[in-house]
Amino acid sequence: MKKHTILLFLAVVLLPFALFAKGSSESVDTNTLTVYSYDSFVSEWGPGPTIVKDFEEETGIKVNLISAGHGSELLYKLSLEQNNPRADVVVGITNEQLNESNKFNLFQSYDSPVLKDIDSEHIFDKSLTLLPYNVGTYAFVYDSKKISNPPTSLEQLLDPKYKRSIILIDPRTSSVGMGLLQWTISVYGDDYLQWWEAIKPNVLTIADSWSSGYGLFTQGEAPLVISYTTSPIYHVINEDNDQFRSVVFDEGNLAVIEGAAILKSSKKVEQAQMFIDYLLTDGQLDIAIANVMYPVNLKTELPEAFDWAPVAKKELYLPSEMIAEHRDTWLNEWTEVMSR
Amino acid sequence: MRTTRKGGSYVLESSPFFKILSTPAIAILLLLLVVPLIIILSKAFIGSEGSLTLSRVITLLKSEYTWRVVRFTFLQAFISTVVSVLIALPGAYIIANYRFKGKRLIKAISVIPFVLPSILVVLGFVIFYGNSGLINQLLMKLFNLEEGPIKILYTFGAVILAHAFYNFPIALGLISSFWEQLPISYNHAAMTLGAKKGSVFRTVTLPRLIPPILSAATLIFLFCFSSFVILLVLGGGPKFTTMEVEIYRRARMSLDLEGAATFSLISIFLTLIIVAIYIWTQRLVAHQEEIELLNEKNLEKSLKTIWGKIGVALYTLFAAFFVLGPLGAIIYNSFTYTPSRSGQTVFTLRWYKQLFNIESTSSSMMGVALSAIILSLIIASVTTIVSLIFTTMLSAKLRNDKIKGSLATELFAMLPMAVSSVIIGLGYYLIASRLQLGNIGSRILVILAHVVIVSPFILRSILPEYRKVSFTYSQASFTLGANVARTFWLVELPLLRSALITGGAFAFAISLGEINATLVLADSSLVTIPIVMYRLIGSYNFAGAAALGSVLIVLCAIIFFLTELAKKRSN
Repeated sequence: MKKHTILLFLAVVLLPFALFAKGSSESVDTNTLTVYSYDSFVSEWGPGPTIVKDFEEETGIKVNLISAGHGSELLYKLSLEQNNPRADVVVGITNEQLNESNKFNLFQSYDSPVLKDIDSEHIFDKSLTLLPYNVGTYAFVYDSKKISNPPTSLEQLLDPKYKRSIILIDPRTSSVGMGLLQWTISVYGDDYLQWWEAIKPNVLTIADSWSSGYGLFTQGEAPLVISYTTSPIYHVINEDNDQFRSVVFDEGNLAVIEGAAILKSSKKVEQAQMFIDYLLTDGQLDIAIANVMYPVNLKTELPEAFDWAPVAKKELYLPSEMIAEHRDTWLNEWTEVMSR
Repeated sequence: MRTTRKGGSYVLESSPFFKILSTPAIAILLLLLVVPLIIILSKAFIGSEGSLTLSRVITLLKSEYTWRVVRFTFLQAFISTVVSVLIALPGAYIIANYRFKGKRLIKAISVIPFVLPSILVVLGFVIFYGNSGLINQLLMKLFNLEEGPIKILYTFGAVILAHAFYNFPIALGLISSFWEQLPISYNHAAMTLGAKKGSVFRTVTLPRLIPPILSAATLIFLFCFSSFVILLVLGGGPKFTTMEVEIYRRARMSLDLEGAATFSLISIFLTLIIVAIYIWTQRLVAHQEEIELLNEKNLEKSLKTIWGKIGVALYTLFAAFFVLGPLGAIIYNSFTYTPSRSGQTVFTLRWYKQLFNIESTSSSMMGVALSAIILSLIIASVTTIVSLIFTTMLSAKLRNDKIKGSLATELFAMLPMAVSSVIIGLGYYLIASRLQLGNIGSRILVILAHVVIVSPFILRSILPEYRKVSFTYSQASFTLGANVARTFWLVELPLLRSALITGGAFAFAISLGEINATLVLADSSLVTIPIVMYRLIGSYNFAGAAALGSVLIVLCAIIFFLTELAKKRSN
């Protein structure tokens, strides 16, 4: 009887091996380029799979695309692997993380010939270790059925007519929430908390994540939500719906740039550079559509739906050293004000 | 009783059988829970120069903000618990005492909220109770109003409502199943002695119901204690900050692992106290049930008076409205579509067609839903089988252990319930990135993580039942020549059948809906139902997520309905 139980136990423990054995047959050959990226880039409907397939067909270089978790975990994972790096290329480190990324000193610079086609404002790392490939601008999205004259500045959002009409996102738990916090700091400087104090009556709720915040908005809970200028594009492409529009502000919108880099430790520098170049040229359209963000290459021809995303009058950025230094203070001060 | 117990357990304790078979469970818990926890929590004590320090913990304990968060966490959990139990009590009364149509259905359906991912519950609440929700739309049409009159969401009330929705079924299940077993003879005796119905309830029934009520309440308290998404989204924001939010913020946004670890330390300490109280209440229940078992069971009555019938009907209606409302709202949402041009909501199958690849979309979700469902079912099945075996072995060991040592082991086994999912996730993350797992490795790790997560739930359903199995049965079996293993297999296990079915169903459903650990451990090729839902929501497709959520709801409903059937047959 005991034997049987042990056999059963072994069978159950080994079952997953048998079930998933298929996956192991793809061995990683030594000529393969290993690329780390974040979760939604690598996922089936992210831009990753298409780009990799086309790149492999064009160049004959095999690519092993690996997800290293959420956006912020990417850099962390690389730092953990510092002494035993596996990746050749990393895709998805933002301008806000530049300071931290420099600290680890993991990447080599690459003066890509494609950079001439990229708006120099987006080349956020002058040492050219992190090359930009994708840019998004935070914006308020509104429901055009309920609001015909959308606010055009942070100041106008404070108008009492928007009482309990705005959905915000918590900067403690979401990067979009952090984006708005930085936006107010970049506009108001040290007085940013006054804006937050004043916006309180107009806030319906502060959601934990972009997903739940934007979900409340599309369910019609409130006519205004913090998101991206490009958000309406999704509804136009996939739902044939132009009810949701985004608005750019007079003082500018905070922007976030995603970058890619080649690791210092890479032994396939040439192939890695080819991959980055591909990302910055032919891959741009795939990234723009799948990520619903703007490409950085000015030559990219975008589909018509992108006309629904207004271009920011001015892109605002906070220096990454400032973010690294003050992030905790800002969050503490913000929590103090918003929880009163 | 006492001597037979000792005699029986002596044989059991000295048998290597249980020791051998409980070892894997303990090893897995060590590997998947304790090791990551130690790695993470040790950061709380390591200073910036790598030296040992207590200063972080002390600073945190001295901070006024910490205590404000802790106080609020306790307060909201307490109110949520009281409300959940109060809602459950009348239901427990009618389920335990009366026979009526739809009873089984209530029992089966009421478990579903518990296993749903919280983001789906939030979605359901918003669609149902929201400012533009179904109730408000209906009221607006009926009374020709400009805007919805119900403004419950984004207040503290909404938090309590959502917590009650999530948790009152737990109280309903626990209290009613105990109440069903209360012997009626005591009541008769009291009435013979001249007691009125009211005072019989107060003096005879109620005191014996206190252990299960306490037990349910502690469990609910535990769940509300670590609530996070519901508090923020439905409560309206940072006014309602729980410890979980604070841990999340430190770990994810500030990348302050040390701070997160220090805060988790306090949180784990407090939750362990609650778990210990819970284990104590469960033993009270088991002890009480042991006494009750000797007596005849309470027989269900059919309803006689018209008021009774109305009462039962009202409660059934209320429960259906309360539980099915938000669930139904998700399903409703998955079948509707509002193109902006006409503005009319129309019935549609397009989300399902897209999901199952019958209709193509620009965002390529090719066949993802189907493969996600299959993979989820496989993972849930393996998780259920493995964890059922481990947990049964573990509870066999716990039952046989002398009382002194077993509290520690039991606490240890319930530990996964006490640890914040953010912290578990971080721990796994640290380990996974060091291990350099391949495809297979990460899948096995996902299953093992699910085993760790679901095990306390199975343990909670098996252990009390196992404790009730009298050692005299085992002893009789030894006398007849069976060894320990054979006795376990042929005598003890069959007695536990009903508990195994319940535990297995919970394990299956929880594994089906699990997202936090899966997301951390899985590479991008591993797609389960909740992961696809999460991705759909992340890529703006809320209707698609509602469609897949509906599939999850239906799957859970089937599981719990089958469970009820299987239990009926095994009785």
